[in-house]
Amino acid sequence: MADVVLRAEELHKSYGELEVLKGVTFEVDRGQVKVIIGPSGSGKSTLLRCLAMLEPPDAGHVYLETEQLTALPEKALAPHRSEVGMVFQRFNLFQNMNALGNVMCGLVEVRKLGRKEARARALEFLARVGLADKAHQYPEELSGGQQQRVAIARALVMRPKAMLFDEPTSALDVELVREVLDVMESLAREGMTMVVVSHELRFAHHVASSVLMMDEGRIVEEAAPDEFFSAPREERTKRFLSLVE
Amino acid sequence: MLASFDTHTFWGALTSGPYWKGALLAIGLTGATMVAGVIIGFFLALGRSSRRRTVRNVVLFYNWLFRATPTLLQLIFVWDALPQLWPVFAGSWFTPFLAAWIALSLNEGAYMAEIIRAGLLSVDPGQELAGRTLGMTRRQILRRVVVPQAVRIVIPPAGNEFITVLKLTSLASVISVHELLTAANEDASVKFQFAEVYLAALIYYLVIVSILMVLQGRLERRFTWTSGRRRRVAAPAIPAVSHDAR
Repeated sequence: MADVVLRAEELHKSYGELEVLKGVTFEVDRGQVKVIIGPSGSGKSTLLRCLAMLEPPDAGHVYLETEQLTALPEKALAPHRSEVGMVFQRFNLFQNMNALGNVMCGLVEVRKLGRKEARARALEFLARVGLADKAHQYPEELSGGQQQRVAIARALVMRPKAMLFDEPTSALDVELVREVLDVMESLAREGMTMVVVSHELRFAHHVASSVLMMDEGRIVEEAAPDEFFSAPREERTKRFLSLVE
Repeated sequence: MLASFDTHTFWGALTSGPYWKGALLAIGLTGATMVAGVIIGFFLALGRSSRRRTVRNVVLFYNWLFRATPTLLQLIFVWDALPQLWPVFAGSWFTPFLAAWIALSLNEGAYMAEIIRAGLLSVDPGQELAGRTLGMTRRQILRRVVVPQAVRIVIPPAGNEFITVLKLTSLASVISVHELLTAANEDASVKFQFAEVYLAALIYYLVIVSILMVLQGRLERRFTWTSGRRRRVAAPAIPAVSHDAR
């Protein structure tokens, strides 16, 4: 049996009248990188939010390893959220803390580490994303690319079992995209389990174990990147790829 | 030239004990009122966005009650009517200062509630989302992330409130709290030198408010998050609450 880290089973989610997820089944094995593409409104972000347990699905289940998270009450859920890292399009760094404070926060508040140890570990992770020298800068003093790298360090420092990326480079100026993708690539090489919503097709091609196409609340197609990009089976995928490239 | 202005009386008033004590009392009452008002306002603000309808309605009722009635009437009500309704308040422990503090705090809570609510709402929802993904509880997020950021937004209008409350403490003269205006009134009723006496009181208020404004500026910089802490951030405008009716 494959070593499944995150699994979604028949997820349904609606916002009012709008049905965003129409039965999505999805899983990611340890060390796999899955890239999800698809038009806006196709349910990609909602799927990630369900996997991150930020949104309870209306029906269906989410499993983290063997634990069924959808069965847990809100109180029991909070600690589990820290086992899945999430990186947002708009970074969402805590504005009232400097880079170091952002990375330390989860360790101190959630992991209950002493400040000294938290600080040492946070610095180590800031160094990993190449920002050791920016530890004392506040978010508004950092470029978008630097903010996103701090956000990645903030998630990584919790030693998550999987990392979710919700369009991590969409809000960045073109010249800043590379530095963030580089960090993500090195993470993938180190064997991190990742689910990435992104339209960076080159990244998908080079790094992904498989690529998924979502449309109208369903997964339309899933294939290895070579096959996905050179010979997509589905008409919907072909049309989308021709628009994106 | 002024027809008559006795500089000696003016200086005498400015440096006299009762004025000093009155001013300190006004500052003390203002500080105590603001502390209580901020606490009451904070919980009212949280109550406004409660999931339970009853809680929301209680908050709305409270805000309506204290904003729709004159502060002077509230003061007199607490001092004169409460002891009649509840004998507990008839005891000697219930001093004019305490009555003024209770009345002004309840009143101020209603105004601070709106200001704090606006401050909390101004914090980007992405901040809370990020806290949740780290596994922080709602309480931790509020305490470490949302409240500190709301403070920056709340300081300027809260500074206004501080000044307003300082001036409102003069109302407490009617329930015989010996604050600054009481001191001036008593002085005037003896000397009949109104200009000298009230000018001295005016100057006290001006000095106190000026000091407050300097402190407010410092506090605003304290809650501006840059590594240098030098830059002043213009706070987003929140429509000031009109105090004309108070």
